[in-house]
Amino acid sequence: MIKITNVKKRFGNLHVLKGISLEVGCGEVVCLIGPSGSGKSTLLRCINALETYDDGDIHVGERRVDAASRTIHELRSEVGMVFQRFNLFPHRTVLENVIEGAVHVRREPRQQAVAHGLELLEKVGMADKRDSMPGQLSGGQQQRVAIARALAMRPRALLFDEPTSALDPELVGDVLAVMRRLADDGMTMVVVTHEMGFARDVADQVCFLHDGVIAESGPARQVLEAPRHARTQDFLRRVRSA
Amino acid sequence: MMENVLQFLPLLLSGAIVTVEVSVLALLVSSLLGFVLALLKLSPNRWLAYPASGVVNVIRGLPILIVLFYMYFVLPELGIDLTAFQAGVLGLGIGYSGYQAEIFRGGIQAVDRGQTEAAQAIGMKPAMIMRRVTLPQALRISIPPYANTFTMILKDSSLVSTITVAEMTHAGQLIASATFQNMTVYTLTALLYLAMSLPLLYLVNRLERHLRR
Repeated sequence: MIKITNVKKRFGNLHVLKGISLEVGCGEVVCLIGPSGSGKSTLLRCINALETYDDGDIHVGERRVDAASRTIHELRSEVGMVFQRFNLFPHRTVLENVIEGAVHVRREPRQQAVAHGLELLEKVGMADKRDSMPGQLSGGQQQRVAIARALAMRPRALLFDEPTSALDPELVGDVLAVMRRLADDGMTMVVVTHEMGFARDVADQVCFLHDGVIAESGPARQVLEAPRHARTQDFLRRVRSA
Repeated sequence: MMENVLQFLPLLLSGAIVTVEVSVLALLVSSLLGFVLALLKLSPNRWLAYPASGVVNVIRGLPILIVLFYMYFVLPELGIDLTAFQAGVLGLGIGYSGYQAEIFRGGIQAVDRGQTEAAQAIGMKPAMIMRRVTLPQALRISIPPYANTFTMILKDSSLVSTITVAEMTHAGQLIASATFQNMTVYTLTALLYLAMSLPLLYLVNRLERHLRR
């Protein structure tokens, strides 16, 4: 579904991605882990062209991801994204946030979008807040609404950029629970995360990025419980002792 | 004294109506022009952005009085005849459009970048992002400085008296030169301006406090 081939990216003299290749199959969950600055968020943002890449190829389905393309918005509408800082539209209610894309981008009839939106809010446990404004919600609640907003586009895949990093610790569980359910439903997901428990339980594949390359990748249990590379071992030791 | 006041008041009040008309119309002109200039200035196309930015700077660098004189005395020489009222509204409106452009630009740029990214991520095109996500938030941010600008326009509308528009200051000058009651006339005029501007300033403060929450 998502195929990344030898992608390179630099900011000035800084090589953030030094040739990354990765395949995400349909229904697969891939977790990207690694220290900050390793390039994992940049890689994720390249997949829906919020970031450009200098070299290599990224394909979503049959389509090559090209930020300069005139039809890039079509590809973006098929790949949902959940941000670290939620980025809900503060001037719209919870339900309006969720149906915004369905009504104005997908051009679904309003009634249908509302019905689908309420169903999704139910799914993420936020139906009772449908008429609240984002500013009235906790971070965890906002993030669940943001997930519903992404799902309302009926995406083929979902990208998560450290979805729980900005949350108070007691709110992380609710968001991860929603993500687990999505994975169980067969959603294709690429998740940048520091939640090793989530990665171990849910991911089919874990990639450890270090310094712009995938230093180690494989089945979750293998990478997280029996890492072969010294850098992976070192990273996991530090994450766990934190 | 009291009878002087009663005698002057009707004339000054009819001038006040013109003052309000000029101010409101100039606000409209400056808002429209300023809004367009702000959008052009923020355009990724430098062929639009640079000239717009130049225009904004030129307008901000000119005294409004000179703009008014240009509208009223110079344009007729170029074959464009405007009434004093039209020249006043246009001159004041153009003179303030530079400030309005900066207010709108500041508002648009103050909207969090994450908002644009979230809108892009659900597949919106740039024009729709501007219309449905950025502008509603930017305009909200712009309300206090915008209302503040309106009080400044209201005060500076007295400048159009110099090109014979019969607004309140003009009315005051006429009465003063006819009666020599300078203190009464100008105190009365000042009080009438304050009666319009102080409520506006109060409103600005209320808005600022309300929006900060």
